[in-house]
Amino acid sequence: MSTASLEQSERRKAWGFVAPALLWTVAFFVLPFLYMAAMSLWSRQGREIVRVWNLDNYVRFFTESALLRGLTNSLEITLTVTVLSVLLAYPLAWIIAERVPKRWQRMALILAILPFWTSYVVRSYSWLLVLSKGGVINQALTGIGLIAEPLEIASNRTATIIGFVHFFVMLLTLTIYSNLIQLSPNYRRAAADLGANAFQTFWHIVLPLTLPGIMTGAFLTFVLCIGDYITPQILGGNNELVLPQIIMLQIGRRADFPMAAALSIILMLAVTAAYALCARWLKIERA
Amino acid sequence: MTKTIAGASARRLYTSVAAFALTTFAASQASAAEELNALVWCDHTDPALIEPFEQANDVKVNLKEYEGTGAGLSILEQSRPGDWDVMVIDAVDVHRVIDMGLLGEMPADALPSADIFPELRMEANNTKDGKTYAVTEKFGYNTISYDKTKVDPKDMEDLSVIWSDKYKGRIALYDYYLPMIGLVQLGLGKKTADLSEADMPAIEEKLSAMKTVSKQVSDVVSSQTALATGEVDILVGGGEWITASLAKDKPDLDWIVPKQGAMRWAQSIGVMKDSQKPDLALKFVQYILSPEGQARLATSSCYWGMPANQKAGEHLGDDQKKALRWDDQDGYLKNTQLYPIPSAELDQKMQDAWTNMMQQ
Amino acid sequence: MTTEIQARAPASLFRRSSLQPALVSVLSWLYLIVIYAFIFLPVAVLVLFSFQDGRLPVPPFNGFSLQWYETVFADRKLMAALTNSFLVAILSSILACLLGFLAAYALARYRLPGSALQRGLLIAPMTVSYLIIALGMLAMLNTLRIPLSLWTVGIGHVVINLPLCFAIIYASMGDHHINIERAARDLGANDFKVMALVTAPMLMPSILAAFFLSVTFSWDEFIIAFLLSRFDVTLPVEIWSMLRSGLNPKTNAVGSLVFLVSVAVLLVLELALFGRSRKP
Repeated sequence: MSTASLEQSERRKAWGFVAPALLWTVAFFVLPFLYMAAMSLWSRQGREIVRVWNLDNYVRFFTESALLRGLTNSLEITLTVTVLSVLLAYPLAWIIAERVPKRWQRMALILAILPFWTSYVVRSYSWLLVLSKGGVINQALTGIGLIAEPLEIASNRTATIIGFVHFFVMLLTLTIYSNLIQLSPNYRRAAADLGANAFQTFWHIVLPLTLPGIMTGAFLTFVLCIGDYITPQILGGNNELVLPQIIMLQIGRRADFPMAAALSIILMLAVTAAYALCARWLKIERA
Repeated sequence: MTKTIAGASARRLYTSVAAFALTTFAASQASAAEELNALVWCDHTDPALIEPFEQANDVKVNLKEYEGTGAGLSILEQSRPGDWDVMVIDAVDVHRVIDMGLLGEMPADALPSADIFPELRMEANNTKDGKTYAVTEKFGYNTISYDKTKVDPKDMEDLSVIWSDKYKGRIALYDYYLPMIGLVQLGLGKKTADLSEADMPAIEEKLSAMKTVSKQVSDVVSSQTALATGEVDILVGGGEWITASLAKDKPDLDWIVPKQGAMRWAQSIGVMKDSQKPDLALKFVQYILSPEGQARLATSSCYWGMPANQKAGEHLGDDQKKALRWDDQDGYLKNTQLYPIPSAELDQKMQDAWTNMMQQ
Repeated sequence: MTTEIQARAPASLFRRSSLQPALVSVLSWLYLIVIYAFIFLPVAVLVLFSFQDGRLPVPPFNGFSLQWYETVFADRKLMAALTNSFLVAILSSILACLLGFLAAYALARYRLPGSALQRGLLIAPMTVSYLIIALGMLAMLNTLRIPLSLWTVGIGHVVINLPLCFAIIYASMGDHHINIERAARDLGANDFKVMALVTAPMLMPSILAAFFLSVTFSWDEFIIAFLLSRFDVTLPVEIWSMLRSGLNPKTNAVGSLVFLVSVAVLLVLELALFGRSRKP
């Protein structure tokens, strides 16, 4: 067999291995997505879906404040959640990696992410019980006389943000920790030998080196948070709607698939923008 | 070496898991004898209601629950003919399904029409051109529920309390636009039957005022949670269906029909036109309307409500009847109105008004 | 080696003041306590009120009762949903791992045209919200008149877990394994034999990690399972409809059960699989 045909048969074989995954992704992800994108250019009128290309849905999105507010609510909540989660998770990951004795680190990390294994739906619901007026926090705080009136922390944006931050602190602690322990101790030793103090070492060495981990985690947080329906639906008290809630309303109450598709495309664009901002830190590489 | 052992054991794990999965799946497929597909409100999913029928007829009833007519029609639109055998829907919306050509005719003499409360027979809604397409099975009220130790019950007698400042931040609004907009219409001193596009500006203004004084807009469970935890003291749109099941633990919860009246909800049940099992489907409808079925439906786990069949009373306990306020129904029936029946365009307007309110 | 660094670092880092390390240490512990309290607060409340004697899972705690656990086990729908969730999670994860492994093998060991593009395509679903994936599939299934079932949920779960499995397995396919594979091939093994007997066992830790991670995601996934299922639903969807039908400590009980069982499985895995492979 000549080398050329050997290479050819090798290549055919390789295509055979990669094909199932590619086909699956194309059939159940790419095609539905393209179909949805096309659908966003149709519209629902009365009880019919009219298959005429138009931009009605997008025009409605930008002219109806209730819909536009959905996007701004989503962005505000998601950005707040992302920043808060990073700020809370980083110290935790750092303490586990640097302060907790080596043999307890794994335990500490598992503990930090253990509630991850309660069901997501149930977790949001139990936050509702924790935060409500007669809930544990308010009962405890009024009980010890710290506050006279119960705090208004359930069924509003605060509750949604608390529920989200709880989840993402766990996720981010994991990604940031795995980044921190990969740092070679040599950097820090060198910095110390050059006379840097702890803060300088952290600021000039540790933080920049863990930035990719932070950004990966932050991007994941952004994607998962902006697309989530459960947490705002259970905790937000419908005092404001985020984009996924509005999308679900379109399908649930009036089967307006074209509008739901258009809103999904807009959601997708928001994620793409976030990706563009973080892209330089996001890579998958082989060991 | 350990790695190959790990690999081998992992392979064993895979195969045994896969084998287990396949057998369980096969078992779950095999056990189904005859099946009946029903599209229902959540009160029909109570096993205490469904299991007696399943056992008596050796059949498996597949239930899909929805909340709100829009959601139900949305599911129907996404289905193929023959997917559904039975449907439960708000009585006022039966004609929408008839007009979609989806409901089948039922023989009138197969139904216990004479036993149904006269106000609930609703021929105008359940029949068309003399043919019966659906029959009323359960009813109740969307009105004002409240904690009588925390608010002045006198204030609840006037519907305008729902947009007044007096209980600011202590009110929850039930998240279903139809009865809520209906209540506003009543509060404005008009009839729901007359609701037209011309009424919408005034309604939207009141909705906005209601949003301002409310704490939250919520579905059934969040509303119950809010009432039970004291998050709110008033639930607009509530009634016996939300407080009856809490009565034992929260005896302070009460509800009232204000002097302007309240909304009356009524559910109808019918057989789908393209059902492959029309006889079995009719049997199911007959079971739901039988006195026993009606008593079970009235006290079903998701929400309680008055049975449409008066004979159900024989199968209900005194405390159950008390929680349902069986003896007060005459007065309530006189002072309550049905949901508005909007055209597709008005329906869209009402939904938009509701979304705008939430997003305010 | 590590002890050496730990011994050295404080000495050089905190030469100037001896108060600083103590302060940092106190603050660290304080922070740990506060943040762990935050992390465990909802779980603790959930478990506590699953034992509530009474209908309302909110303070005051009326007393200890197991009645809600009994109702959970007696609930036929809930038990069916549990089985469904288990089936969907296991089967979809097996498929996702298999497809991901094959693709990773091909892309790591062969030079294919447009391999960067292929990698990008395989990873793409990870950057899209589950809601959008679900909506796209729902719209297409509706148009093609394919009825919804547990199968469609499973297909959706493979879509979201395939990128994960591919990325994890691909990342662990180091070039240092190539020689061993080549040796096996020189001894006459074909590709499938090499994969099954050489590559897969060598990569078993990351394959298992990918598998259990995707089981976790599938098990707890809501929106795809909600939109793409009809009569047979998974546990999160069943819990959701339980939630919509009324406030009930039963929800707490089923949530606590899922939590405790998952934690038990996690600990067993930790000790049995990952504990062994940990380097001294």
